[in-house]
Amino acid sequence: MTKRRMFLRMITASLLRRRSRMLIALLSIGIGATILAGLVTIYVDVPRQMGAQFRSFGANMLILSDDEKGMSKDQMDKALEGIPADQLVGAAPYRYIRVDMTTRQQSFTSAGTDFDQITKTSPYFSVEGRYPENPREVLVGKEIAETIGIREGSDMELTWQPAAGNAEGDPSEDRKPGAVLSGSAEGWSGGTVYVTVKLDDSSRIASLTIDAGTQTPEIGGLAQTDEAFSRQFVGKTLPLTPGEDVDALSGATITSTAVVEALNTARSTQDTVAAKTVKYTVTGILTTGGEEESYVFMSLEDMAGLTGSDIVDVAELSVSASAEELEAYAEQITGNVDGVRARLVKRVTRSETAVLGKLQSLVFLVTAVVLILTMICVSTTMMAVVSERRREIGLRKALGASDGSIRTEFLGEGMFLGLLGGVLGAILGFAFAQVVSVNVFDSSITFQPLLLPAAVIVSMGVAALSCLQPIKRAVAIDPAIVLKDE
Amino acid sequence: MLFRMIRGVLFHQKGKMLLIAFTIALGASLATGMLNVMMDVGDKVNQELKNYGANIVVKPKDSSLLADIYDVGESGEELNTAWLNESDLGKIKTIFWAFNIVDFAPLLDAQTELPDGSTVKLNGSWFNHHLSLPTGEELDAGVVGMRSWWDITEGRWLDEKDENAGEEIMAGATIAREQGWKAGDRVVLKASKGQKTVTVSGVYDAGGDEDEQIFGTLALVQELTGREGKVASVEVSAITTPDNELARRAAKNPAALSGRDYETWYCTAYVSAICYQIQEAIPGSVASAVRKVAEGEGAVLEKTQLLMILITALSLIGSALGISNLVTASVMERAKEIGLLKAIGARDHSITGIIMTEIMVTALLGGVAGYFLGFGFAQLIGRSVFGAAVEMKPAVIPVVAALVAAVTLAGSLPAIRTVLRLRPAEVLHGGH
Repeated sequence: MTKRRMFLRMITASLLRRRSRMLIALLSIGIGATILAGLVTIYVDVPRQMGAQFRSFGANMLILSDDEKGMSKDQMDKALEGIPADQLVGAAPYRYIRVDMTTRQQSFTSAGTDFDQITKTSPYFSVEGRYPENPREVLVGKEIAETIGIREGSDMELTWQPAAGNAEGDPSEDRKPGAVLSGSAEGWSGGTVYVTVKLDDSSRIASLTIDAGTQTPEIGGLAQTDEAFSRQFVGKTLPLTPGEDVDALSGATITSTAVVEALNTARSTQDTVAAKTVKYTVTGILTTGGEEESYVFMSLEDMAGLTGSDIVDVAELSVSASAEELEAYAEQITGNVDGVRARLVKRVTRSETAVLGKLQSLVFLVTAVVLILTMICVSTTMMAVVSERRREIGLRKALGASDGSIRTEFLGEGMFLGLLGGVLGAILGFAFAQVVSVNVFDSSITFQPLLLPAAVIVSMGVAALSCLQPIKRAVAIDPAIVLKDE
Repeated sequence: MLFRMIRGVLFHQKGKMLLIAFTIALGASLATGMLNVMMDVGDKVNQELKNYGANIVVKPKDSSLLADIYDVGESGEELNTAWLNESDLGKIKTIFWAFNIVDFAPLLDAQTELPDGSTVKLNGSWFNHHLSLPTGEELDAGVVGMRSWWDITEGRWLDEKDENAGEEIMAGATIAREQGWKAGDRVVLKASKGQKTVTVSGVYDAGGDEDEQIFGTLALVQELTGREGKVASVEVSAITTPDNELARRAAKNPAALSGRDYETWYCTAYVSAICYQIQEAIPGSVASAVRKVAEGEGAVLEKTQLLMILITALSLIGSALGISNLVTASVMERAKEIGLLKAIGARDHSITGIIMTEIMVTALLGGVAGYFLGFGFAQLIGRSVFGAAVEMKPAVIPVVAALVAAVTLAGSLPAIRTVLRLRPAEVLHGGH
């Protein structure tokens, strides 16, 4: 016990007495440990932090419906559960439909989406103006805007027509009991007539709505408002023959024939929606340099209002994860969630893996080189500090200290310095890593708890190793010579 | 006398001086290596980012949008009336920033009919098209470089150097599976202006829409559609500088810039400046940035550079402290010698002069050795990470020289001062 206390006293006394030199040694170990702790923390955190930057390249995973009909929002949300929330940067649902701008005789693709999510999954979208925030607002691609001369603040009337009557196969297949069918046909002077019909339990017409669309109210429009005309269809079985099964509306024969034709070609729709025209306000013009420039973007809610159905064609996901993790998520989603499958956007995931891999090995090599050089620097300084004490070693030896006890004492001193320097360095290093992280990536870094013992062990090891050589030399020499200072 | 004393120290205390020189060499090599890597990392990472494909798309001015907006299939071809000339493409490599154009590939597409009546989109492009430019430069451009993410699941890349490259196609994984095509199969393609039997040279997995399409040489598509010498668009991959406020202003309207701003913008590799120059070089073209790629590149590049700057700063501080620490230690160690010199009547300033000269000579030797060592480290990093040498920046030399000089001075002067303040008798007696 007393021996140990004496040992401790000798170490602390020597450290205190020789303050300036020990300070130098401590400083150099501290620098080494700071660099070690700082760089290793950065190295460990780089994939996560850099990965987040790579999300600027857009979505890296798609969730698609198994069939043509699209998926429900519930299905999409269920699929998203398969991805840890902290890795999911954003998930933008998309639904694509064709819309007509009848006033300009143009037809566009319209994408229904969630604008809050778009800013996360597609940060490269550049909007002149602002994203739509309120109902009935749209964002228009630059190409469309240039073609039809639309600007921020303009109004745009868009029409959606259900894809009825165009489906392949025989319309009679759809005439099942209780089915809802809708169809359209060309009416008077190029206008279109839309019908929606509900069948009863024995496949007869139960109710009927007629939308004369853009036709003049005085002529074709009558078909829409004349109750007697529409009532005569009730109870009849499709297909109908014009003039035999139903009487034409006086003064609107063509429209009447069109209604019958629309009924005969009507196909089943999930929802009973006829063509609908809605007026939207343009809040911004979108530039991307890609095909998005030829789309009209609106919120999913607006699109549901226009089409009467609430489905999603595809969800674009931006996930901050490695290629292997992404593949595992995709497989799991495809396997576990009914009706959807997940696919990776190879162009993004592949390139990301390649570039991120290079960046990581860059930081790794830099860290390794810096560490090795720093450690050598630390040990040369330690060596200089220790070899200066050859006289002291000689004196102790002359007084009868054994080689072993001298070695233990000096090593103990070195390792004590290593411990202090290591703790100091780990704290400073973390502070440095934090500064880097906040400046470069605008986010705080995760503290690696293992790094503290690691930094301490490495600094103690380096300190001990660099003491070893000078002590060995001093011990080996005859004390008389050392003391005489030759 | 001074010279002899210095030489004496350098040769007789070889061990100690070597240790100092060694540490300075390490510190200098760290500084050199990191500075070189830091200055070159932008270019290197930028090159890697070319994996993401084109960041500029060139289209004819009056192109039609129509074909893009209406996916009208065959009739769409008739709508597209504007074309770029294949012969103009070489001009892309003659612009001011020609050196930054990494690769490019023209595209001309056509709907083709297969014998079973189904239609498939055929893209005509360059694969490894050899170009000899008027500037004397030689390069291979095409989709081999522009579609680096393709997996060739079967067969091989179409090689334009083959004689019958014009009778070969590459098929996407999906269409190949649907049609049961294998590498080497022969397929009849029918388009608006003729038909041809071609061989499937390879099947690729692109992980996107292109899996449902096929790729052939530009000449093949030109022949099948009767559009000799025409291309519909060009994808260009260029190394660019991340956009700043000036670039954003210029992108809207270059003409609105002041003369000086315009010059700065034109002579910086902003994506908008390169687009502008391509438009100047190819008459009747519109070049636009693919924001998805350009923005992502900007973000990644900026962050990498910033990260490297901070790591470099840390290692510079580390090596500076390391060097000055050791120099201080070595001066302290020589307290006795300094005391002796003082005792025999040497003046303070001449002692300082002698010791400083010794240390500076050592530092010079160490610094020079360190510079070359550090350059070696930079090359090691460059070769193993990017597979390319790191460019030797002359600007690094003065920075490292100044750093070593300043650090050595800062490490030795205060220490010498401290030692000089001691009383010779005390020092010589061996006190502390």
